Amino acid sequence: MSKQIKVALIGNPNTGKTSVFNQLTGLKQKVGNYPGITVEKKEGICKLPRGVKAHILDLPGTYSLNTTSLDESVVVELLLNKNDKDYPDVAVVISDVENLKRNLLLFTQIKDLKIPVILVINMADRMNRKGISLDIDLLEEKLDTKIALVSTRKGTGIDRLKELIANYKSLSSSPNIDTTVIAPEYFDKLKATFPNEDLYKLWLVITQDVNFMPIEKNPISIPASFKTKSKSELKRLQQKETILRYQFINGILKQAYKVDLNAAKGLRATADKILTHKIFGYLIFFLILLAIFQAIYDWSSYPMDFIDELFATGSEWVKDTLPPGVFTDLIAEGILAGIGGVVIFIPQIAFLFLFIALLEESGYMSRVVFLMDRLMRPFGLSGKSVVPLISGTACAIPAIMATRTIENWKERLITILVTPFTTCSARLPVYLIIIALVIPDGRFLGLSYQALTLMLLYLLGFGAAIFSAMILNKIMKIKTKTFFVMEMPNYKLPLLKNVGYTVLEKTKSFVLGAGKIILAISIILWFLGSNGYSDDFYNAEEIVNQKIETEGFTDFNLQNMESSLTAYQAALQDSMALQGYELDKQALTDSLRTKATELRQKAKNQEVASYKLENSYMGLAGKAIAPLVHPLGYDWKIGIAVLTSFAAREVFVGTLATIYSVGSDEEDTIKNRMSAEIDPVTKKPLFNLASGISILLFYAFAMQCMSTLAIVKRETNSWKWPTAQLVFMSLFAYIVALIAYQILK
Amino acid sequence: MSTVQDILVYITVAIAVGYLVKKFLLPRSLFARKKNSSKGCGEGDCGCH
Repeated sequence: MSKQIKVALIGNPNTGKTSVFNQLTGLKQKVGNYPGITVEKKEGICKLPRGVKAHILDLPGTYSLNTTSLDESVVVELLLNKNDKDYPDVAVVISDVENLKRNLLLFTQIKDLKIPVILVINMADRMNRKGISLDIDLLEEKLDTKIALVSTRKGTGIDRLKELIANYKSLSSSPNIDTTVIAPEYFDKLKATFPNEDLYKLWLVITQDVNFMPIEKNPISIPASFKTKSKSELKRLQQKETILRYQFINGILKQAYKVDLNAAKGLRATADKILTHKIFGYLIFFLILLAIFQAIYDWSSYPMDFIDELFATGSEWVKDTLPPGVFTDLIAEGILAGIGGVVIFIPQIAFLFLFIALLEESGYMSRVVFLMDRLMRPFGLSGKSVVPLISGTACAIPAIMATRTIENWKERLITILVTPFTTCSARLPVYLIIIALVIPDGRFLGLSYQALTLMLLYLLGFGAAIFSAMILNKIMKIKTKTFFVMEMPNYKLPLLKNVGYTVLEKTKSFVLGAGKIILAISIILWFLGSNGYSDDFYNAEEIVNQKIETEGFTDFNLQNMESSLTAYQAALQDSMALQGYELDKQALTDSLRTKATELRQKAKNQEVASYKLENSYMGLAGKAIAPLVHPLGYDWKIGIAVLTSFAAREVFVGTLATIYSVGSDEEDTIKNRMSAEIDPVTKKPLFNLASGISILLFYAFAMQCMSTLAIVKRETNSWKWPTAQLVFMSLFAYIVALIAYQILK
Repeated sequence: MSTVQDILVYITVAIAVGYLVKKFLLPRSLFARKKNSSKGCGEGDCGCH
């Protein structure tokens, strides 16, 4: 088997590096202009001409080899270590045709490491519109490299790039610039001390810690005779090096890069002016958010109702079709109810991610990050913290991993600690079902109360995050300041393929990722709710029959039977009248009697099921924690749901769906079952405004996600921070929910 | 028939418990796969899948 060519894709953020990677490898992967999207190692295989294969490594985006973050240090560490298994045979530097000057800084640094380099000038399709003309031959000659002019949007130039990679041996590995001229004496001493080492590599090793905290690396034995310079002197030399590089780049671009300013349109500048305006920018963002939440509610209600009905009917069908027994009950009441509790939220989650993907793809999200940076500075957060906080609306886990781009450790730690406050997709099912139950229908300025509540919860989560950051900032006393440098990508029409892929991936990730946990918990809960050890559980039917005979049905069941019977009588008379018949008194009485018997049997079954559930293993556990959750307005069933959702928030809805299905023999939707639930103490609906708001606030602030805790542990390398996070957030959520319920009840 | 259904229930519950124990209690390194997945949030061992 022939040896694969090892290729490293390197480039500034937002140059379309990931798109080039996709074109080369064909691997499906997220593509977007969101800053910091490439935060990890990605690899793939590319077929080159003449049967040659290349191993492509997509490295994190970096502006230069002067590292300022963990992400960037990954690139430098690889390029400095020839023994690394991924050390490239050839480096492919991706640049953006509109930002070539800045992108070439990184190119010249890599070239000076004496690695064969190919320069990709991406987004070539924009050249005409922007009035850009390039002299590729001159650029190739001056930069001593080969260039591929690529448009990943149109899929052009990739074949040329593959050809260049296949012929990488013909590339020059001579450096572009002699760095030693910035301090000849110092470099002479360096050369004398390490005669066998490459000077530019040594320089990078020495200066690596100037901007960034020390990272783990193998210690080098430095002779006592060699004295390096102080940090400030090294920093000054680094600046001289950068100036030298830009002088070199400017000289080349003056001849080879022309921009016809008349051809360049000023639309982007005008749009930026409006969208990042300190008043209109926020106003537009606010209006976009309003429109998104309203659309989520308006568009998804029909598919949601359909899914709810479908699962209710499916459950009934299973019971009617399969042989009666406990396993049939498990499928109907445990598995289907649990899955239904998750699947029902697919439409809303898909719509949310559709809008987020459209905002990202169009380039607007970067403007939002810029806007938010301004807003967050007074709270002591870096502009780079905005990226994790916005990513947190999908899932806190990748968001916490995205904090690796933050250079300052304390700022990074604060961002890690506050990110779980932002409303992740796991909270969405809880919010949606509770809002549907307790927030009345109605509109304010054309926007439904329910959509407004959902938006308020998102803002509340974001507010809680920045407020906590402010407190942590004061406690931790951050003195150092970092600067937020972010590139505004061009506006573009979203690629439907990318948007569709994002929606599909995120929805699939939610359903399959959370779905497995929810399914497992639903099965266990059904088992615990259908089994018990006490006499009360096994003799439930006798006990309930006796109770009905002596005390009668519960008030709720009596009222329910009366209203059902009245409704039945009215419907029957209407139906007869429509057909032109008149029902005689005897027939009406007989019919009503039959219906009453049927309703009584149903009510009895319900009371038996309810009594059994109360005395099952689950009921006993729920009652044990009831005193703790009762002050929040929750009964023992909600208590169980809160407890199980410590694994993952979305388990809450699945748990309630399972609990309310155990023993149920009628076809009904989850929402209807929940809205019919009566508080045994107050005799009012259990899910009312007070208890509903209490649940919403509890879930807005509580740290209920084991996976997030695990990732915080990994990122902080300590159990101290996740433990503190869990205790603080849970206590805070409990207190806020308690206050809300006690005020509103 | 009811015995068969009982057995099926116990097997299903045992699988569910086993899955949760594996997911949340046992060390992740026991089940580490060699190849990273490029799906979902980007990192196969992040724990959210």
